[in-house]
Amino acid sequence: MPLYGYAGKILRLDLTQRKAIVIETEKYRRWGGGHGMGSALFWDFCKDKTITDGRHPANVCCIMTSPLNGTIVPSAGGRCEVVGVGVGMYPISWFTRSGFGGRFSTMLKYAGWDGIVIEGKADKPVWVDIRNDQVSFRDAVNLWGKDTWTTQQEIWRQIGIQPETKHQWQDLQELELLTKEQRKGKDQGRTTQKSAILTIGPAGENQTAHASLIHDAGNGAGQGGFGAVWGSKNLKAISVLGTGSIRVADPKAIIRARMVTKEKYVSSWERPDLRSWTRLGGFPRPIIFVRPPTNDRRPQSCQGCINGCRTRYNVGYGNESSCQETAWYGSFARKVAKSPAENTEINLRSADIVQRYGFNSFLFQTGLHWLEHLYEEGLLGPGKKIHSDLPWKEIGTLPFAEKLVHALSAKTDIGADMADGWVQAAIKWGREKDLHTGAMQFSYWGIPEHGYDPRAELEWGYGSIMGDRDTNTHCFNQIFTTVSAAFAFAMPIRIEAEEMVNLHARKLSPYAKGRPEVLDFSDANMYSEAVAQLVRWQQHYCRFFKQSALFCDLKWPDFYSTNTPNLEGATASSDAGEQVFWNAVTGDKLTFEDGIELGRKIWNLDNAIWVLQGRHRDIVHFAPYVYETKYEKGELFPFYMWPCRDEKGKWQYTDLMGRSLDRGKFEEWKTIFYKLEGWNTKTGSPKRSTLEKMDMKFAADALQAAGRLGEEEV
Amino acid sequence: MSHPMTPPSEELSHRLLGTVPYKDRLPAGRLLPPVGIIPGDVRSLGELHLLLAPDDRSLPGVNFNALVDWVERVIGDRDLADALRKTTGNTASYVDGCFKVYELVGMRLTQAREIAGQEVLT
Repeated sequence: MPLYGYAGKILRLDLTQRKAIVIETEKYRRWGGGHGMGSALFWDFCKDKTITDGRHPANVCCIMTSPLNGTIVPSAGGRCEVVGVGVGMYPISWFTRSGFGGRFSTMLKYAGWDGIVIEGKADKPVWVDIRNDQVSFRDAVNLWGKDTWTTQQEIWRQIGIQPETKHQWQDLQELELLTKEQRKGKDQGRTTQKSAILTIGPAGENQTAHASLIHDAGNGAGQGGFGAVWGSKNLKAISVLGTGSIRVADPKAIIRARMVTKEKYVSSWERPDLRSWTRLGGFPRPIIFVRPPTNDRRPQSCQGCINGCRTRYNVGYGNESSCQETAWYGSFARKVAKSPAENTEINLRSADIVQRYGFNSFLFQTGLHWLEHLYEEGLLGPGKKIHSDLPWKEIGTLPFAEKLVHALSAKTDIGADMADGWVQAAIKWGREKDLHTGAMQFSYWGIPEHGYDPRAELEWGYGSIMGDRDTNTHCFNQIFTTVSAAFAFAMPIRIEAEEMVNLHARKLSPYAKGRPEVLDFSDANMYSEAVAQLVRWQQHYCRFFKQSALFCDLKWPDFYSTNTPNLEGATASSDAGEQVFWNAVTGDKLTFEDGIELGRKIWNLDNAIWVLQGRHRDIVHFAPYVYETKYEKGELFPFYMWPCRDEKGKWQYTDLMGRSLDRGKFEEWKTIFYKLEGWNTKTGSPKRSTLEKMDMKFAADALQAAGRLGEEEV
Repeated sequence: MSHPMTPPSEELSHRLLGTVPYKDRLPAGRLLPPVGIIPGDVRSLGELHLLLAPDDRSLPGVNFNALVDWVERVIGDRDLADALRKTTGNTASYVDGCFKVYELVGMRLTQAREIAGQEVLT
């Protein structure tokens, strides 16, 4: 019986012994793929789950694919999941996750592997060369010190083209036609593709908290500091070249669902609705925060994706960078740019800098504003309390951007103090008060606020603090961006507030199905059981559908769509819902609710690991400024529109700015959340009864042995 | 644009082209649907002009009331503040307001650059 959608093997790399070991995927099939499998593999192979720094030799890092990778499932074919204990979080670096797109995960599957488990530490720098089932550890001493782009070019050069390979254009008419029998196996072992490489740059080699993993020009696993994890293991890069394919259970069903997606949910090219309200069905467009540098460009997507959210330009810079990377230097570049074109160039070249250093620019989101604050307050600079020889007066210029990223990557200048984390540096510098005033907006776990302030957008903030990192799951916040943009343009509201919440509630099975009040973020409802159910749904949905099945975060879930007559999006639908694609690929008979339940199990396994690491409800809280200061109106945007009920129960879009969180009420909300999850309300630890109902006795036993099992409560 | 402004004095022109102290910065941001908002304070009219430059994929984030107050109190340009007050109080939408503020600020910068003898950017 084939494992449809899976390659069938997981590669275990023991860097200490330089051994490659095969694990049968079948053993981990119950966890789906991606994050779920990664958590289970971490559980089995990490010998010390009390570690709180990802650079510890016991840490295990898993690079995982999904059954959907390498298929044509829309916006699900090319994501890759990374798990392990992270670096640089505060107060504890949790077992955490990151993800990236591109073609690495698909190539890994075409090479015959569903994932890679990385353990131990090489005695000197290595890179791993995977070509189908051939795995070799290769010397990376000459690659150490090189940036991520140079490293990939050098590996491509080393892999080279075999001397006997035909690499010139072929005349198809002159090629011998093969019989079916002769053709058998001929597609194996040859490819026109470059290998897919995942690598670290100088930031990772120096094991700094800001280090990411980079693939191709601009696909990065940023959050979690996994570049530092690789650096600690002396692992420079993994290169994969695969020439196989993936068997799917029901190809016709995939095509059928994909055609339904195109014809029913996606915006029509013949009759374009350029202002449609939809996620999955939107027109392809680049996600960059600046004007494109040129119109001579082409979209660039993860393998199999219908979106093309990245771009390659003929000017040769900014290629494949998207989203926050294109804006980390934005407000500073404006200080020196003389025109929008120059502003674009500085921003996109700054994006190139962080990509090459393997540097997680997300930390600059609010972090660089904090450093500027310290400089402007006279606390940071030459001879100041926080000594820095960087030319802070030149902030906004490209040379300064490079010097700053270099210092933080090389652990020189202020980089020496910041290598273990930004909040750790604040404490070292005696600047804890900045977390009270909001000068340092690192809202949760030592990580910057994302742009969806926890005081306004509750599911983002609550989900982040109940989890392990900035959640970065855009399940619901398109409500904010879409509705706020409509208000900004004074455009018609395509979906009124009451209809909007009802459209969502139809799909929030099982916890919140038919309960639109879960989306009511008004002052009166913000600490309610309803909001707790919403946060649970989001966490469980994401743990399976987004982070294990690897549906793209920016396209799924698709709750509503003005492309369809009844305004319903594709999520959970019987014709093109997530479970339809999953079943077509794997041959499973999974219901949408089964997927949510599997996500709950994965979420509980993660929580068991966090508890072993030292999690207790007492440390589950936001940075003080979230409770002590208000999210001022106009702080970042003039309004933050969200559907809320008024005193009479009428739904309307309401501005959520101008409030803070109440510490005591949030503590009460946590108790509600723990109760719903079946975790002990005093500690937040999972209870045996909860775990055993999910067939996770092994986790209960381990927690009990460690004295960390949650007590049963009446 | 129906708000002719008296050309600024040389002293005011230099202020209009300068940078205000950090403590006097104007809070601002940028919204890119569907991925979110990024922060980005403004410390000069030139920065404000770049922030407001029309872009078909993202929106500048500025509180108009705070902006008018900032121009009047921090930059010290009552003429521009009055023009902005009139303009932002009479717009079809927030985005329309951004366009109009962009034009007004651009005009004022041009005036200031001419008086200060700087290259006038086009």
